[in-house]
Amino acid sequence: MFFYYLDLAWRSIKKTPLLSLLMVFAISIGISTTITTLNVYQLMSVNPAGERSDKLIAVQLWSQGKDAWKEFNAQVTYQDAFNLRKSDLPVRQTAMFVTGLAIQTEDADFSPLLETVRVTDSDFFGMFSVPFLYGGAWDKSVDTEAAYQVVINEEINKQLFSGENSVGKTLFLDSKPYQVVGVIKTWNPSPQYYDVTTGAFKDSTQLFIPFSLAPIEEFQSWGNNQSWKRESMDTYSDRLNSEMHWIQFWAEVTDDKQRDEYAQWLTRYVEQQQLLGRFDSPEAGAQLSNVAQWLDLNEVVPEDNKILVGLSALFLLVCLVNMLGLLLAKFLKRAPEVGVRRAIGASRNQIFAQHMVEVGLIGFCGGVLGLIWAWGSLSMLSARFDLEESLTHLDPSMWIIAPTIAICAALIAGIYPAWRICSTNPSVHLKSQ
Amino acid sequence: MLHIKPIINTLMRSKSGPILLLIQIILSVAIVANASFIIGERLALMDRESGTVEEEVFDFRLYAFDSSIDIESQSLRDMRAIRELPGVIDATTTSMVPLSGGGWSSGYTIGSSEKTAKDTESAAIYYGDDHMVNTFGVDLIEGRNFYETEILTGSPDLATHAIVSKAFAKATWGDESAIGQIMYAGDWGDKPLQVIGVVDKLQGAWVNSSYLDNSVILNVRLVNVFTKVLVRAEVGTLAQLKEAIPAVLHKDQPNRVIEGFTLISEHRKRVYRNHELMATVLSMMVILLLLITSLGLAGMVMFNIERRTKQIGTRRALGAKRRDIISLFLVENYIICIVGGIIGGLVAVQLGQQLMTLYSLPKLELIYPIVTIAGLMVLTTIAVILPARKAASISPATATRSV
Amino acid sequence: MLSMKSISKVFKTDLVETHALRDFNLEVKEGEFVAVTGPSGSGKTTFLNIAGLLEGFTHGDYFLDGVNISNLSDNKSAAIRNEKIGFIFQGFNLIPDLNLAENIEVPLRYRGFNAKERKRRVQHALEQVGLAARMKHLPSQLSGGQQQRVAIARALAGEPRFLLADEPTGNLDSMMARQVMELLEDINKAGTTIIMVTHDPELARRAQRNIQIVDGQVCDFTMYQGGGYQGAEKPHLVAGAASGLDKSSDDSKQTQRVAS
Repeated sequence: MFFYYLDLAWRSIKKTPLLSLLMVFAISIGISTTITTLNVYQLMSVNPAGERSDKLIAVQLWSQGKDAWKEFNAQVTYQDAFNLRKSDLPVRQTAMFVTGLAIQTEDADFSPLLETVRVTDSDFFGMFSVPFLYGGAWDKSVDTEAAYQVVINEEINKQLFSGENSVGKTLFLDSKPYQVVGVIKTWNPSPQYYDVTTGAFKDSTQLFIPFSLAPIEEFQSWGNNQSWKRESMDTYSDRLNSEMHWIQFWAEVTDDKQRDEYAQWLTRYVEQQQLLGRFDSPEAGAQLSNVAQWLDLNEVVPEDNKILVGLSALFLLVCLVNMLGLLLAKFLKRAPEVGVRRAIGASRNQIFAQHMVEVGLIGFCGGVLGLIWAWGSLSMLSARFDLEESLTHLDPSMWIIAPTIAICAALIAGIYPAWRICSTNPSVHLKSQ
Repeated sequence: MLHIKPIINTLMRSKSGPILLLIQIILSVAIVANASFIIGERLALMDRESGTVEEEVFDFRLYAFDSSIDIESQSLRDMRAIRELPGVIDATTTSMVPLSGGGWSSGYTIGSSEKTAKDTESAAIYYGDDHMVNTFGVDLIEGRNFYETEILTGSPDLATHAIVSKAFAKATWGDESAIGQIMYAGDWGDKPLQVIGVVDKLQGAWVNSSYLDNSVILNVRLVNVFTKVLVRAEVGTLAQLKEAIPAVLHKDQPNRVIEGFTLISEHRKRVYRNHELMATVLSMMVILLLLITSLGLAGMVMFNIERRTKQIGTRRALGAKRRDIISLFLVENYIICIVGGIIGGLVAVQLGQQLMTLYSLPKLELIYPIVTIAGLMVLTTIAVILPARKAASISPATATRSV
Repeated sequence: MLSMKSISKVFKTDLVETHALRDFNLEVKEGEFVAVTGPSGSGKTTFLNIAGLLEGFTHGDYFLDGVNISNLSDNKSAAIRNEKIGFIFQGFNLIPDLNLAENIEVPLRYRGFNAKERKRRVQHALEQVGLAARMKHLPSQLSGGQQQRVAIARALAGEPRFLLADEPTGNLDSMMARQVMELLEDINKAGTTIIMVTHDPELARRAQRNIQIVDGQVCDFTMYQGGGYQGAEKPHLVAGAASGLDKSSDDSKQTQRVAS
């Protein structure tokens, strides 16, 4: 029976092409705006850490003084990061910041590249599940005994070493020789949850060097540096000893129990620092967030996007009301035919089903068309605004979501008109010609 | 003439059609009013001027990774070489670039004594030399520029003189003249800065901050392996200077990375990107929504006409002119539009209220729903008149024929 | 076969109550050909709608094939319409978008026959009315008489126990009307019970039995045996009453034709 209804629906659509087109158009526009905004929203609100989300903990410390910021800063001071690294409670942990260095190779003709470089600990790669192509992270001992070692990504490896296994080879960063210990595969979690301080939707850094090198090489910070206190910072050691927040700190725990223990350890750490005259605010303390909480805390999904999703849902509603009116008009015009069908043995349910199939078909066409619009508008927007690809590709799930929303929406809009037409008394329309 | 009461009665009797139209108009008004308000707000933000000659000024980054370079003398030679290039109007080193989204900012301490000391609002800090005012192309409206002899070279803490933006001067000293005022970079008494000039307008780097128009220029040529250079050049010369500047600087000292040539107008585009995106998406939504609503309206009118062909014929037979038929439909839909518009306006205000509490949006201005309703009336007129003209041409003879 | 016992049907609006049928009693036996006449507004159509299960009624009992169908669900009454009843209308009521075969197929679809069975029955029904060659034509390509024959084929395709015909020849000229009437008589001879509402006394006379409805009640009641024309006075009386009362109605066209 379904295919019979489908056939009837198709005939009916063909019979009133303008009206049908108008309805398909209305629903497709509604779907496309919804899908466009929903797509961006979904891509933004992804938690790339997946099931490891609960194990990875971002650490924040309220180390500022009494009249300073009224919230936890996203980053910690170098001295705190240095001290936290000494804890043996977490399974893994890493301190990090971003710097920029000039890359050269042994080839003198290679013109120097200025690249952003993440200064971090060996645990970084394991904690954030970074996939390696060749080699691996530097040895854990390097985190305390600094060594000039570097992990590079596939792309830089292609550029510098024409893609071959470069482990053991040398490259120069700011004229200093570094030994390549690992090459990672292209790795670009979006949002870049492990460091949201300078924007969560950008490409990740291509090189990684040991954090232990920072005091020796005095790497500049290319991230946010926030001070609540006026301190002079003439030398790098001033910076390391300052109250400036510029280091990101993450710890990995096995379960909630360990997380609680770590929280207690941090409380003791704060108390200990208070004895030294730091952390003098009454709110002083530590805050731990898992990845989901961290993305939420840092408002990774911008307000604008939430507003757009809301407005486009309302938009879809308008399209549905619009469609409802048109359907009503279309169906009631067909009352005489329905009267005949009822007289020769169609039950109310069968008439209802027939019309719902037609509405569903319109919804499906609208969904497919809407998907094409959405794809068009996303590519137009990304071309016009030079948006990150990670935000504008049409998520594969949309191929299911769009037609589903469209069909459901259309069916909801179709219930009333279909009910109206199947509940009218057939005999009324049989007499007239 | 038209009698509104019977029209209302007709509307009340044929419930579902008008009600659907009403709902559609209510929702449309609510959405369009709020969306166009947000668009207007964003466009106003984007319209603010930085005070600089945005099409002429560009910046680039210079990274001297070779530790054997004497940066201080190198920088002086570099700047001299750049200023001599054809097309270049002026150049300076800087700590930050307007509208670039990154840079330095701080509040200062002012007051006549330690007891009365207080903090100023935050301001963007531009460290530069006597060429900076000219490079930005900002208007010096009071006081004077730095003398060449006043420029110090080295760390930020050396600064002694300041040129401030009018907005910052006003916020800090009110109607009092800023010239000659002292402010402290540290606590009271620590690192004093004397204000010697006021520029009309100079924005900082963060367009979403509350202190965007607060800026100070301090008399220090920073010495750092990593230098930002600001160049003002004739419009259209950037493409050739992009080649010429690295060529001339590398000839002098090759061990530097030189990159990131960007006009302030390009920074503007990037920094306002999200606002522009929001405004674009919302505009698309508004246009499409109005399109859908008017198409729906026209569709409903057509349906109504078809359903009432006989009635229209009767009216015509009873002496109604074509004009009367058109106005019948117009008035019918105006009533729906006005009622829907008023309810929609209330819903719009309510929605605006919700958006305001949930998100950092300002309060919806009433003019937006009002203009939206007016616009909808115009659309209604168009959407009704086109099909109604067809109705008006229905022959009176239709009435006498049985259906 | 069909038995109505003190059926009444009341239409209510805010202001008035209209009694379309009042204490209506009728028995129709298997294989009968009954012609129903009566002035416009007398309740003929209401009677036919109730008989065809298209409308409910206010009081009384209605037995069809021994089954009380007074309070059937919509699904059940649809099934009964589909299996036991065939409808023929004055305006043919073919679905204009469907070709002849598809039109005839409609009730078979709702009955759930498979494609093969549907094809067989469509073929058979069209052969019965002599239009098998035009299976793929659209209704608009046929003359009125042909359309009505298709409508009859559609009614026959489900092999119903009885046919309800509402002015089946009302829109046809006299020659076509005669053809359709002959077709109906053939069908009746083959065993199908027929109830036909008509204005045309000629046609009514050809039925085995005449019923007149006046003011919602069975008023007159004449039995003819074997299609004979005994008792010619009565039919004249009936026809006269019908045409006389019909002048002001919207069926005046037919009345005039009858009169002329």
